[in-house]
Amino acid sequence: MLADVAQNTLDGLMLGSAYALLALGFTLIFGVLRRANLAYGPAIMLGAYAATWVNLSFRPGLFVLALVTIGGATVAGAYVERLCFAPHGRRTLSRDAAAIASMVGSFALWMQLEELATLWLPKHLYSFPPLYDGPQFAVGPFLMRVEYIAMMVCAAAVCYGLHRLLYRTRFGLAVRAVVDEPEAARLAGINVPRVFLLVFGLASALGGLAGYLIVTAHEQVTPMLGMWSTLKGMIAMMLGGLGSLPGAVVGGLALGLIESYSQSLFGPQYRDLITYLVLFVLLATRPTGLWAMLAHRPAVAA
Amino acid sequence: MDDYALGVLINMGLFSFLALSAYLLLIAGEMSFGQQAFFGVGAYAAGIGTAMWALPLPVAALAAMALGAIAAWLVGLPTLRLRGLYFAMATLAAAEMFRILFELFHWQRSVDGEPVGPDGTQGFRGIRWVLEQGIEQAGYAAIVFALLALVLAALFVVERSRLGATIRMVGEDAELAAVLGVNVERVKLGVAAAAGALAALGGALYAHHNTYIEPRNFDIMLGVHSLAYGLIGGLGTALGPLAGVALDIGLLESTRAFQGYRMIVFGGLVAVLLIVRPRGLLDEAAVNRIGARLRHRGAP
Repeated sequence: MLADVAQNTLDGLMLGSAYALLALGFTLIFGVLRRANLAYGPAIMLGAYAATWVNLSFRPGLFVLALVTIGGATVAGAYVERLCFAPHGRRTLSRDAAAIASMVGSFALWMQLEELATLWLPKHLYSFPPLYDGPQFAVGPFLMRVEYIAMMVCAAAVCYGLHRLLYRTRFGLAVRAVVDEPEAARLAGINVPRVFLLVFGLASALGGLAGYLIVTAHEQVTPMLGMWSTLKGMIAMMLGGLGSLPGAVVGGLALGLIESYSQSLFGPQYRDLITYLVLFVLLATRPTGLWAMLAHRPAVAA
Repeated sequence: MDDYALGVLINMGLFSFLALSAYLLLIAGEMSFGQQAFFGVGAYAAGIGTAMWALPLPVAALAAMALGAIAAWLVGLPTLRLRGLYFAMATLAAAEMFRILFELFHWQRSVDGEPVGPDGTQGFRGIRWVLEQGIEQAGYAAIVFALLALVLAALFVVERSRLGATIRMVGEDAELAAVLGVNVERVKLGVAAAAGALAALGGALYAHHNTYIEPRNFDIMLGVHSLAYGLIGGLGTALGPLAGVALDIGLLESTRAFQGYRMIVFGGLVAVLLIVRPRGLLDEAAVNRIGARLRHRGAP
C-alpha cells in the first residue's frame, strides 16, 4: 500500500517533469508577450516529425535526433512568431485585440503545421528510438525509467538556467523590462521586437527539448502530439498560475501527480475527467493558481 | 444542386449555429473554448428524444435547447467572472468533462426489437427521424436555413435594441457598465444561456443530419474552430461568424482543388488575413462604414 503510494508519487513526478518543461516554454511566451501561442504544441510536433524522418532515413545517433527536434521546433516557432505575433505588435491595436488576433492566427497555423507534418509522414504511428535500451532501473522496490530521470534532470536544469538567464544577465534584464513596461523599455533603447523573437525562439527550443524527451520516453510519434503538447502545457500553466515560471513547474508536477494517482485509482477515462475537474474547480475558485496559494501561505512550523 | 454541394451547404448552416453561439459570448466580452459541449448536449438530447422516445423533432429540439441553456447557465455560474484565457481554459475544461461524460454515458432501450441509444465511445446511431418522415436532403437544407434566418433576424432585432447595446457595453467595459447600473452578472449569464440554447439547436439539427453521433464529434477542435469563425469574420455584426464559416467550409471544403492541402491553405490564408484585418473581415468599423453608406444611398 505504502509502496503503491510511493510508486504513484514517483510516476507522477516523472510525468510531471515533462509537463513542467512544456509549461515553462508556454509560460515564457505568455509571461513576456502576454499572448497565448496555440501553435506551440504543433511546432514541437513538427520538430519531432523532422527527427523521425531523419531517424528513418539516416539512423543517426541520439544526440543528432535531439538537435533535429529542437532545431525543427525552433524554426517552426520562429515562423509562427513572424506570421502571427510580430505583425500584431507593431500596429495601433489595443493589447487585448492584438492578443486575440495572435491567438487566432496561431490556431490557424496549428492546423497548417499539423497537416504539413502528417503529409510528410502520413502513418498513424512511427516508432522513435529510446534513450536507453536496457532494463528499467530499480531503486529498492521502485521502478524508474532512464527517460523520466533524464526529464527530471532536464526540468531542474532548465529551471535553474532560466532563472540565471532572467535574473543574472543583461538579456534577462531587458526581458524583465519588456514584461513590466514595453513602452518604457523601448524608450530606454531596448529592441523590443528582437527581445520578443529571441524569447519566442528560446521558448520553442525548450518546447523542442520537452518534445524530444517525451517522444523518446513514449518511443513513438503520433499525429496527436501537437494537440497533446499544447493542451498539457496550457493545463499545467493554468494549474500553476498563468505567467509564473515557478508556477509552471508546480503546475506541471501537480498535473503529473493528479494523473498518476487518478489513473491508478480509477482508470484512464476517469483520469482525464478528474484532471479537468480539478482545473475547472481551481479556475473557478483560485484562478491565480497553485503557486500563488503556496507562496502566499504563511510559513507553517515543521 | 448535387448531393455533395447540398451536404456542404447544410454543414455550413449547422456550424453557423455554433459560430453564432461563440459570437454571442464574444460580444459580451468572453472567449469560450467550450461551446461544443452544448452542441453535444443538444445532439444527444434531441437524438434521445426522437430515436428512443419517438418524439417529433420540433419537440425534441426545444427540449434540447432548454437543456443546452441550463447546462450553459450552470457552467457560466462559477466561471463568468473570469476573463480572457482564464475563462477560455475554464470552459475548455468544462467541455472536455462533457465529452468524457458522453463517453461514459450508456443508456439504451429497445425500439422495434433493436437497442437504440447512446453507447459510450461506440456512439449513438440510428437517429433517423428525418429519413422516416421522408424529408429529402434539399428539404432538410430548407429547414436548417429557415431556422438560421429566424435566429439571425432575432439577433438583428436584439442588437438594435437597448439589450443589444447593454450586451456590447458589458463586453467593452464590464466595470463601467456596472457603474452605470447594469447588472453585469445577470447579463452575462443570460447571454451564456442563450448561447447554450443556440448551440444545442445546432447540435440537434446536426445529429439528425448525420443520423450518427459520437463523443469525438464534440472535441476541442470543434470549439476552437467555432470561436475562430467569429474572430476571422469579425464581430461587428452577426453576419461576421457566417463569413468565417463560409470561408472555411464553403470556400475550402467545396473547392476540391485543395483536397489534402485544405488546412495548409486555410491556415496560411487566415494568418495573412489577420495581418491585414486583425479584427476580422466585418469588424465594428467596417460595419459602421457600410451601414453609413447604405443609409446615405437610401436618403432622397
